[in-house]
Amino acid sequence: MTDVASYLAANRFGYGVTPDILRAIGNQPLAWLTAQLTTERVSKLLAVTKGHWTSDVALQHLAKHAQNKRKMRENSNHGNAAKQQLETDRQEMAVKKQLAKQVLALTALSIEQGIVSDSPFYWHLVDFFSNHFSVSANNIQMRALAPTLEVEAIAPRVTGNFSDLLQAVTAHPAMLFYLNNEKSFGPSTRFAQKRKDKGLNENLGREILELHTLGVDSEYTQGDVTELAKALTGWSIGRGIRQEPNGFMFRDVVHEPGERVILGKRYSQPGIKQGQAILTDLANHPNTAKHVSRKLVQHFITDEGNENIVAKMVDTWLSQQGNLAKVLTTMLSHPASWQTPAVKLKTPRELLISSCRVCSLALDKEDFIRHLTNLGQRPFNAGSPAGFKDNQQAWSGPHAMMSRIEWASHVSRIVQVEPIQLAQQSLGPLLSKLSIQQMQQAESKAQALSLLLLSPEFQRR
Amino acid sequence: MHRRDFVKSALAGWMYLHAPKVFADLSAPVAQQRASTDKKLIWILLRGAMDALHALPPLFDQNLDKHRGALSRDLHTTALKIDRGFALHPAFKHAHTLYQQGQFLPVVAVASGYRQRSHFDGQDQMESGLNQTEHENGWLARAVASVGQEGLAVAQTIPIALRGEGTTNNWFPSQFKPADDDLLQRLTHLYSDDAQMQAWLSEAINSRDRLSMQDKGSPQVKFPYLAERCGQMLQQNAGIGAAMLEMGGWDTHNNQANRLSRQFSELDAGLAALQQSLGETWQKSVVIVTTEFGRTVKVNGTGGTDHGTASALFLSGGAIQGKQVLGEWPGLAQEQLYEQRDLKPTSDVRSWISAVLQQHWGLTSTQLRHVFPDVQAVTHSLLASLKAH
Repeated sequence: MTDVASYLAANRFGYGVTPDILRAIGNQPLAWLTAQLTTERVSKLLAVTKGHWTSDVALQHLAKHAQNKRKMRENSNHGNAAKQQLETDRQEMAVKKQLAKQVLALTALSIEQGIVSDSPFYWHLVDFFSNHFSVSANNIQMRALAPTLEVEAIAPRVTGNFSDLLQAVTAHPAMLFYLNNEKSFGPSTRFAQKRKDKGLNENLGREILELHTLGVDSEYTQGDVTELAKALTGWSIGRGIRQEPNGFMFRDVVHEPGERVILGKRYSQPGIKQGQAILTDLANHPNTAKHVSRKLVQHFITDEGNENIVAKMVDTWLSQQGNLAKVLTTMLSHPASWQTPAVKLKTPRELLISSCRVCSLALDKEDFIRHLTNLGQRPFNAGSPAGFKDNQQAWSGPHAMMSRIEWASHVSRIVQVEPIQLAQQSLGPLLSKLSIQQMQQAESKAQALSLLLLSPEFQRR
Repeated sequence: MHRRDFVKSALAGWMYLHAPKVFADLSAPVAQQRASTDKKLIWILLRGAMDALHALPPLFDQNLDKHRGALSRDLHTTALKIDRGFALHPAFKHAHTLYQQGQFLPVVAVASGYRQRSHFDGQDQMESGLNQTEHENGWLARAVASVGQEGLAVAQTIPIALRGEGTTNNWFPSQFKPADDDLLQRLTHLYSDDAQMQAWLSEAINSRDRLSMQDKGSPQVKFPYLAERCGQMLQQNAGIGAAMLEMGGWDTHNNQANRLSRQFSELDAGLAALQQSLGETWQKSVVIVTTEFGRTVKVNGTGGTDHGTASALFLSGGAIQGKQVLGEWPGLAQEQLYEQRDLKPTSDVRSWISAVLQQHWGLTSTQLRHVFPDVQAVTHSLLASLKAH
């Protein structure tokens, strides 16, 4: 039974089994998983993010881009010389090229780490929370910023207190920009009174309540949304000029003054402290505990959820200040985490990462994005703050199914491995007689590998 | 907002996957003989809440400019005038031509039964077509199954509107080579102990074969291209009575004027592509364009509009008796607004779709109650079907 548990630990919570992973698990699958949730491990893992594109650099590039756009307009308005126009074009090209290259590298980072890291459960969690706090790269600004949210705000905090994670995400330029909070102004501030076209934008406030914390089924009102939006006015992005930082900035002049009432509680803190106090309370609210725990269970174990295990996670959440490592340990310690057969259908992203991991398949960064786009899960393109759907209904339609098959047969042609050996090695006791039989009868090694990647025990985790 | 029990809906999904034909047969109605296979229905869902005041500005309403300022000012000169003092945004060139040909019909101030302001819930409820969202029970699936036909979703995955009853196909451009038949054959053996994967696989093979879904050359995912391919598949498949297309990008909290110009152009080109690819079938087809809810009447602080209530509905197609603007206008004076901020709904979007189903496919009142149990069909004559072509 320990044997099965080792394979489950790596398949269900990580991204598949390789001999290295099996050795690391030893006979201690639970300990192998919880060791990935420690502060020491996380800080060690984060070393790979060094030297990558950051939101500061992204904002500098975007400022340069805005400047180029202005110059281009001036050039055409004043009929400037062709030489000058060419120079602006050249600079803009350079900005865009650098941006595309760096953003690609950063977007691919969590995919690559899912494939090669010795702590795949940790990277799986990063992906879960990146989807929980989903941002979409729907314009040049968001293309530049979206992947920095995952690396800067999310990755360092997925095993700490949910409150810290929520605060960091809410104050991150990517989220502020995505949900228009940098242009939300307290209606009674002098700034908004003078400028009739500047006002409150409720987007961030609404999504925090509906998606990030309490959940849409929770009892909150339109009034709570407006109050939270007002409390968050002033949470903005500095422009890196004069006294302004290049990144998060609290602008007191546009912050709606006065006390706010949310879920019946009064908040009279001044300035940024008001929003922070509200976010802390929201993070520790029982409905948030339930909403996020449910999503974790539905992600890792079963679409149908399991209220029994959720109740235990909520208890841990409420007694441990929403410490995610402890909440996750509660989940992992429950027998339901180890149930067989596996019922979760892998998302395209999980399928791609686990296939690359077990086959030692090295795809280009461009390929990751291209393949996931084709499979319907282009990174940072869920197209909605709700993120990608996390159930089998969403990924098993006739077209989704055919895309999986086409993808598997595509990658099987570029992998050089012994498929039967690989099947035994990656699925061990989970491998069915039928699958191995079908693989043995395949017309080629490539086809046998396709059958492995498409087998029920590889498709589910 | 309370969602139905997830287990129940998961089970419904399972039933559909395992017994699609049985459902289709059980619900095969009296109307089946009446419904002719070239009477297609295409539903375009605009995800993100389209601003109807911008698409279809009520230029006669003196309060428009007070709320909208620069956002509506130019439209007085540029918009394409239609009946009752309304106009179409200048980007709707083709739609305007269709209007003049009697094949485009806007309905103003409509909303679903949903009165909150979350996109996702609003869309889910509109797709479900019920007062209470059921995630595995879509209105278009119920409608198309009741005439014994199949549905087509132009999407990576099947949207709620086409889940539940009957059989749904989906299609989206692929960049990989088609899988060879031998592999597909072997997969059916591989899945012989797994009924669920077996069902998914056979659905996948069936839809690919029947619809000749494979793309040649480099595929694009722009809306006009998707509309064109959708029209082709409908035109070539007598068994598919309805299709659903989706178009995103409507959540214009900022910079609305520029963004909507592009959006309207793309939608307009999509309508043209659909007409062109449907060929003769266009003459007997109905296109329905809706969005989950409207946007605030007032412009916000960022040159955009926020989540509102009533929006507009567009009917198009050769079967439509167009060149008229329907729906009661609620007015834009402050006291006429819904919750002091939104366009007030004067009719339910489903009551218009219900009338289309009745007049286009001949659904009986019992069948209409099954598709849209919470509304009554409007009594307006929406179809030109009695006129000889």
